[in-house]
Amino acid sequence: MSDQYTDTLQRYIDKMPSLSTTVTKVLEVCNRQDVSPNDLNKIISLDPVLAGNVLKLINSAYYALPNQITSLTRAIIILGINTVKNLALSTAVVGALKGHNNPYLSMDKFWAHSLCVGVAAKELAVLNKIPVSQREEYFLAGLLHDLGKVPMVHCFEKQYAQCLQQAKMGSIDLHKAEQQVFGFDHSFCGAIIAEKWQLNDAMISVIKYHHAPEKADKDHRLLISGVAIADLYANIFEIGSAGNLSPGSEQYKNMPELTDLWPGLLQQYDAVQTSIEKAAVFLQVS
Amino acid sequence: MQIKFWGVRGSIPCPGSNTVRYGGNTPCIEVRFPDIDRLIIIDAGSGLRELGNDLMSRPQPVEAHLFLTHTHWDHIMGFPFFVPAYVPGTHIRVYGPVTYEEDTLEKVVGGQMTYRYFPIREAELAANIQYFSLKEEVMDLGDGIVVKTKYLNHPVLCLGYRIEYNGKVFCTAYDTEVFRNVFITDPGHPDYDPEMAEEGEQVAAEQNRLIEAFYHDADLLVHDSQYTQQEYEEKYIGWGHGYIEYVCAAAQRSRVKKLALFHHDPLRTDDQIDEFTVRYCNKDYCGDTETFFAKEGMMIEL
Repeated sequence: MSDQYTDTLQRYIDKMPSLSTTVTKVLEVCNRQDVSPNDLNKIISLDPVLAGNVLKLINSAYYALPNQITSLTRAIIILGINTVKNLALSTAVVGALKGHNNPYLSMDKFWAHSLCVGVAAKELAVLNKIPVSQREEYFLAGLLHDLGKVPMVHCFEKQYAQCLQQAKMGSIDLHKAEQQVFGFDHSFCGAIIAEKWQLNDAMISVIKYHHAPEKADKDHRLLISGVAIADLYANIFEIGSAGNLSPGSEQYKNMPELTDLWPGLLQQYDAVQTSIEKAAVFLQVS
Repeated sequence: MQIKFWGVRGSIPCPGSNTVRYGGNTPCIEVRFPDIDRLIIIDAGSGLRELGNDLMSRPQPVEAHLFLTHTHWDHIMGFPFFVPAYVPGTHIRVYGPVTYEEDTLEKVVGGQMTYRYFPIREAELAANIQYFSLKEEVMDLGDGIVVKTKYLNHPVLCLGYRIEYNGKVFCTAYDTEVFRNVFITDPGHPDYDPEMAEEGEQVAAEQNRLIEAFYHDADLLVHDSQYTQQEYEEKYIGWGHGYIEYVCAAAQRSRVKKLALFHHDPLRTDDQIDEFTVRYCNKDYCGDTETFFAKEGMMIEL
């Protein structure tokens, strides 16, 4: 691994905005059915940027209420706790991650891909009968799995373009091309960010092992497989793009889950499309 | 304006011996303007079916504005059975609230007519049907008819309607629950936050005032009163419905002239409503606001 690359990368990541602990807390709160309005209000208020974005979303896209909703307390009374909870979660994550567009990797397409993987992973959680309280984690895991590509494409534009070109010609998987050029791939880079942001173990494992589920800890295996299958789905149907046009067959060899769940996911094609459209509104807020 | 109730029940149609006098159909209200030959319909619950049959016996073609309070099933289920929708020449404008994350109004209402649910597809409807989504706004329907809308407190977006014509005012406020301060108000509670508690109190009161202002001075108000206060407090807080005691007090405060208690619970029997009529619908309880329980077939002229 080249020190020159890792040093630049590390400096870039150090400067990335921190995904305040709020997001982790909002995620925690969203997984609890019985969260009190007081707790939710406090947690969101801790992060003024997040609170601002939630209010912005409510006032613009969500209800287009004629009287501007100016406080979270107001939003919770008028719209109800569940609405505010869901808005906060999605806004928090996406708001922290939006990157600038890049000539080689369109951020719009990148997020469309990420959204699709999130939505499809959540659909797989449903098919797998995962309890409702854990499904949001599948969405988030799908949304974040390719996180590491963002700093790589920004720090090393030319070299990354070369990787993308190789992947585009179909000769090699993108993460393998990354390894050849940089000595590491986006899983590695994503894991550094995930640790900086203090995401939980499950989320770090997804980012690290979504191209090698068999290497992951058994506890997180199901979640990682879900994301890997969802990734395959997004690539095959070409919904958005994160640069990888050649869904490698190797990584799926050791995944018996694929044969069980794939047909069910295909049947949900329309539902996945609709969910992507619905979720897309969150990308409009930054 | 002539107002006629074609459905007064909440949640689900309830035919049977216990509901025969007040009626078992879900919400549908006809608002007629005989002098200018105009027609407004509020909600497409199961009561819409009989209204449709009645319209077929009147001069054709049918031209109507159909305002949906919201898209819960009990308020749209009558639409596939509305006969004028199958008649060429009929013109129906459908209005209702939708949020960005839901499908279009057309999909929500017309979507009931897919083979999965119903033997006829929407594309086979011969009438001219147009859909318009609504927010809080004021609409001029021409001929002096003005319709105003107001968001209510229900788990999905739900609108109240205020129809003004010739100096008279007809208002609906259902399905809706009184806004409550959902924050902790007990200073002894470890999570108590005085600012939150106070703002919560203020916002809830302010939102309730806004709804009262919306139906202020109405000549007739049709209001959600699915529960009694006891039922509400014991079991139904947060379900998005009103209770009789609150509605009667609020209507008096707003100087409503006539109050129709509406959206009766599916479990409510005719005998119970008769008992409630004795208990609530009198001058001692409701003062100058003439209060009654809405009944299928009942007609009121303003």
